Amino acid sequence: MKEVKALYLKELSELDGVSGDEERVRKFIEEKIKDKVDSLKVDVLGNLIAFKKGTRSNRKFVLAAHMDEVGFMVTNIEDDGTLSFGPVGGVDPRVVVGKHVRINGELPGVIGYKAIHLQKKDELLASPKFENLRVHIGARSKEEASRKVELGDYISFATDFRQENSRATGKAFDDRAGCAVLMEVIEQEQRYEDDLYFAFLVQEEPGLRGSAVLFEQVCPDLALVIEGTTAGDDPGLPEHQWATHLGDGPAITFMHRGYVVNKKIYESILQVAQKYDIKHQPKRRTAGGTDAARLAKTGGGVPAGVISVPARYIHSPLSMIDLGDFENTVKLVSKILEEGEGFAR
Amino acid sequence: MDTVSLLKCLSSADSPSGYEDEALKAIEENIKPYVDSVRKHKMNALIAVKNGQNGKKLGIFAHADEIGFVVAKLEERGFLRVEPIGGIDPKVVISQRIKIFTKQGVATGVVGFLPPHLQKDDQKDKVPDYNDIYVDVSCSPLSEAVSVGDICVIEGRCTSLGDRFSGKALDNRASCAALILAASKLEIIKNRADVYFIFSSQEEIAGPGAVSVAYELGLDEAIVVDVTHGNEHVPQMPPIKISEGPVLAVGPVINREFYKALCDVAKRHGVRTQIEPTPGRSHTDTDEVQLTRSGIRTALVSIPLMYMHTPVELVDPRDVEETARLLALASTVNL
Repeated sequence: MKEVKALYLKELSELDGVSGDEERVRKFIEEKIKDKVDSLKVDVLGNLIAFKKGTRSNRKFVLAAHMDEVGFMVTNIEDDGTLSFGPVGGVDPRVVVGKHVRINGELPGVIGYKAIHLQKKDELLASPKFENLRVHIGARSKEEASRKVELGDYISFATDFRQENSRATGKAFDDRAGCAVLMEVIEQEQRYEDDLYFAFLVQEEPGLRGSAVLFEQVCPDLALVIEGTTAGDDPGLPEHQWATHLGDGPAITFMHRGYVVNKKIYESILQVAQKYDIKHQPKRRTAGGTDAARLAKTGGGVPAGVISVPARYIHSPLSMIDLGDFENTVKLVSKILEEGEGFAR
Repeated sequence: MDTVSLLKCLSSADSPSGYEDEALKAIEENIKPYVDSVRKHKMNALIAVKNGQNGKKLGIFAHADEIGFVVAKLEERGFLRVEPIGGIDPKVVISQRIKIFTKQGVATGVVGFLPPHLQKDDQKDKVPDYNDIYVDVSCSPLSEAVSVGDICVIEGRCTSLGDRFSGKALDNRASCAALILAASKLEIIKNRADVYFIFSSQEEIAGPGAVSVAYELGLDEAIVVDVTHGNEHVPQMPPIKISEGPVLAVGPVINREFYKALCDVAKRHGVRTQIEPTPGRSHTDTDEVQLTRSGIRTALVSIPLMYMHTPVELVDPRDVEETARLLALASTVNL
């Protein structure tokens, strides 16, 4: 099998950047792309917006991916030195127990659970509750813990990235996969007809917040949101409920929560995929939402499309994507840009 | 080797019940310099002997096996089902990497879990059991090599948390480490009895191992070393805390005279200990070792540990060292 080299996926996946704490991810991206774009800015909310001038400059085209991932925040330091925490974004408490975590991107901790021997029968298969979970950082007292941690500190899963058998496993593919796609497009150092704005956004997970301030700064004519989206093609769901399939190419969204994708854009994406014979698939569920919904609602409205890398088990410490899908997403986005003003005309 | 490095080395060995070889190999390498002989027992145990002077035989036991899984079913598209070996809370299995020991090498799979977007509300209160838990091995080049009957463990990771230590299989590798450290101390603390360090098998499924070895050796006294729940509120029980030293169990499965002698030697040498009243069985190898042949005077020493049977078991290396000191001192006790 051909090895896909996903340039920045490993580093992006392993960086910690829970919503509101995207700085590590932003700095990494900024460092890697700064010499390959015409200008860069970081806005008030923390979005990184990179500009690349077009050859005709008749349209402003936004390509967006969000930098943040789901995770946790320290909400209290307990007397015994353990940390109480709450989820940032949608994290199911059932994926949290027995995991290694990092606080502020560096301090290690673990989330344990009462031993199986001490649990009552009805407790064993009951969903754990965040109020009963703690992060242990090895501190013996509140005082000792307070020297290392502050209220409001961010907590991420400590998952290392792996790439085997043309699949990648790791955390935060929602949406570091999207960030990695945009970075690969930037890496090609092509100039296209439209003015391009690469927007690496903050705070998608807690309610599409970073994208809310984009319109005012860019006034885009159209946008393409690149996501890592739900797959569900696993024994967790009966086949008729699967959303996307790993290995079947980028998923193209018709509609999701709060937005029916602009028809012209949706159809143009399909046409480009067909024209260049790029493997692709429709997203077969309308569950979930992306920054496209926010972009469509801000300012006078931005017609936006959504292309996603299918990912199994997102919003957990360990998700999985197919690197062929990743590669085809890069290809599809590049071809869309090559179409220039012909795209979504 | 310092205690943390020893814990790391032993925690990293993957050895579910019945498949103890990797752990026993690591133990053998580490204990060899301190003992007079080492041999393997047919029930997959390792026996390391330090000769003494008074002709008596003291056995110090620690089980070397850990909890794990066995592949029970293969499904299409790289998915498979597992059954646990020993008691593993399904809650800690979700979203873990699983190492599967196939005939062609280690295949790494992941335990998948539906994202919140695709869940139905009526599923949210319940954790899947082993009927519904699945491993996705499509990410492994060895996915085709996996067979029913292959042994698996949750992939571990060791972390120092301040001066404490977290990792998998510290039940009971922390005790194995204590035995190795105890052996190293017998150069200075001269043992009277012949000391048999026994690293036994299949404790996690209450199988054979310790009893078989105890039978063959014909021991006068035995100390079983295991882990116990630390920093956990257990109704009616005194608080047992990590960082406060080894725990001596007291109850019907423990020889009272031996227990008192251990308390006494600990006190005289400044080993801080904790007491765990055990009114019934201890659910360690102690319960059966006591009943071997015509009976063995048996004691149970435990290392306090948090989050037992999870991949993030947590101990204080100082407790491991103090347990080692107590075990070495125990070899000087004359009952």
